[in-house]
Amino acid sequence: MPDEEIIEEGVINPVEPEIQDPLLRALLADDPVAAATPIATPVEQPQAILAEADEVDCVVIGLGAGGAPLLARLTMAGLKVVALEAGPWHTPEKDFATDEKAQEFLFWNDERLCAGTDPLAMGKNNSGTGVGGSTLHYTAYTPRPLPADLHLKRDFGQGEDWPFGYEELEPYYEELEQFLGISGPTPYTWGPARRKGYPLAPLPLNGAAQLMVRGAEALGIATSPAANAALSARYYQEGIGWREACTNRGFCQAGCSNGAKASMDVTFIPLAVRHGADIRPNSFVTEIERDERGRVTGVVYTQNGEQQRQRCRHLFLCGGSVETPRLLLLNELALTSGQVGRNLMAHPGVQVFGTFAEAVRPYKGIPGGLISQDTHRPKDADFVGGYLLQSIGVMPVTFAGQVARGRKYWGKQLRDYMQGYNHVAGINILGDCLPHADNYLELAEEKDARGLPKPRLHFNIQENERRMNAHAEALMRRIWAAAGATDIWAFPRSAHVIGTARMGLSGDDAVVDADGRAFDVPNLYICDNSTFPSALSVNPALTIMALSLRTADKFLAKEQRRDG
Amino acid sequence: MPVPVYPSGTVRALLGTEHVSEATRAALQARLQAPAYEPQFLAPETFALLEAVAARLFPQPDRLEQSIPLAPAVDQRLAEGRADGWRYDALPPDREAYRLGLGGIQEIAQSRFQADFTTLSPAQQDAALQLLANGNPPGTTWQTLDAGRFFEELMAELTETYYAHPLAQEEIGYAGMADLPTWTRIGLDEREPREPVS
Repeated sequence: MPDEEIIEEGVINPVEPEIQDPLLRALLADDPVAAATPIATPVEQPQAILAEADEVDCVVIGLGAGGAPLLARLTMAGLKVVALEAGPWHTPEKDFATDEKAQEFLFWNDERLCAGTDPLAMGKNNSGTGVGGSTLHYTAYTPRPLPADLHLKRDFGQGEDWPFGYEELEPYYEELEQFLGISGPTPYTWGPARRKGYPLAPLPLNGAAQLMVRGAEALGIATSPAANAALSARYYQEGIGWREACTNRGFCQAGCSNGAKASMDVTFIPLAVRHGADIRPNSFVTEIERDERGRVTGVVYTQNGEQQRQRCRHLFLCGGSVETPRLLLLNELALTSGQVGRNLMAHPGVQVFGTFAEAVRPYKGIPGGLISQDTHRPKDADFVGGYLLQSIGVMPVTFAGQVARGRKYWGKQLRDYMQGYNHVAGINILGDCLPHADNYLELAEEKDARGLPKPRLHFNIQENERRMNAHAEALMRRIWAAAGATDIWAFPRSAHVIGTARMGLSGDDAVVDADGRAFDVPNLYICDNSTFPSALSVNPALTIMALSLRTADKFLAKEQRRDG
Repeated sequence: MPVPVYPSGTVRALLGTEHVSEATRAALQARLQAPAYEPQFLAPETFALLEAVAARLFPQPDRLEQSIPLAPAVDQRLAEGRADGWRYDALPPDREAYRLGLGGIQEIAQSRFQADFTTLSPAQQDAALQLLANGNPPGTTWQTLDAGRFFEELMAELTETYYAHPLAQEEIGYAGMADLPTWTRIGLDEREPREPVS
């Protein structure tokens, strides 16, 4: 066994946390109880950290759509893997309320600073924490991208191409649809013919979806029940047993309480646990340690107020598009391409609401019941790329907040408008986004409660997204008018933060290679939405999971070659 | 927590039924039965100002006996230092933003009506708040504090607090909390017996 002292000398710790926010300092000084809590304890010196003697094959940071699938794959291959998740491990049947406020613990609530002309709303809109990550509150909307999404640059001369084509991801999409029990239409209306259909029939359409069918039909736009990772019938899940069917409670974005939605905590994580994964919740990683050659040797994390070290042979960083680049920047790791934090993209996601004579009761049914990908490459487009259309159900607190922000209503006017809540239905888009030099993530001077710099996200909608949003808003207004809506209004928004540690063919302009391996650090893999070279015109979760399985396979193949 | 008997047909009456899960019931009952609140973070006069502002942003003439409290949630959050995951970079940290912003509302009242905001008539208070909502109100505070963003954040927080309350959910006919065992009638104009007519 190597001498611990020698290993210590090789450790590089660039993080020097201190509390700079004057208000936070005041808070800690004012309140002896708060000051005594672990969160307020200044980070200890490295020698005070308990040394974890055992080196494991792999450490996975983050247990969302990026970390969980590969965790299962690696443990099933017989590797010893430790997974560190910043948030807790919930018991949804017992803990999850059908109440938006009560469910706020699902979001990453540490403050992100949002700058630029179009600051990105984070929190409930764009983040997650807990074993399962943001899949705990994703809408379950899981369309595949269309092949052209992966070669925007080849087709338009703008944006970025993926280092591989759709055919490389296709087998993983198929595997995921079968494994997760995705409910969807067979055959599928858009894209290439598929070898296998969805394993379950689509979920039933709610009021908003029925209205969108009506409006789209009148305009000659094709629609289809959407693919959703929520069960339309009981489904057997390896590692966990039978998962029950969706009860149409419409609360996907605030947590599924019966396991019908394929969040990671009821799918890949139980599978990984069955194969021996060591899952450590409430474990916030602050440092990534390296040897003199720059290889990762382990990580330092805080669990329940105590600092721990876990040594590993390989590290898989799956913290999402904010925490992944933040950890890289904090640790000055994998930065030679200059691309960490750059290329921040967010899907154009303008929503259009209307009021209908019929009762919609928009809290029931899978929120994104319907899809159209007719707008993937609109003939009259004055922009690059395209978008999908989705019907949306809305929960009352989230919706009311959007009315306040978007319509600027207050007082009696707001209360009067909200009286019509049960008659409101929405459509939104999800469109491609081009990277731009003005859109990036950086570390701010302001520190968080741990003494670490807060991330600052700069986002400025560019001409292409502006045109796409305008095109989409006009179309959605026509759909709603054709469906019989009155009082139609648009709520501009962006969804899904993407692209801050991009994947590419060369370390000159990308952080990771096509397998997800960092160009700078041979035993560091990154797998989450930060590696997407382009945003794709679909929701990212399914593709993050596909990349996760693919990265695990590529890694295992490489290890096997080395062993052989 | 025992559920009192509520008027039949109301959303509150659903809370005592098997249609509502234990976790959901606990969250909603806690709001219905919230005890009187003493400010922990804001000074008493600042808290009173916030209450006066909230009373115009969410006027509740229909609830003279028990209005939905809005200021306590803000004060409690600031006292605990909780955040919601993001902040406009243009605004200072939340505690500072609220202190400055509430002071700025006083400035608007003084500049426009030469009086304390809390002493103004409802119509005057609304006029002062409209100046704030319009984004370019009078007062030195607003030279450095982004009025539009501050008003948006204040309004969003009060709105989310208001519509999380069972009485507000009853007001808009929301019955989503009563989701057990399932919803089967989910299409247009389809209503289950436990849902209010709307």
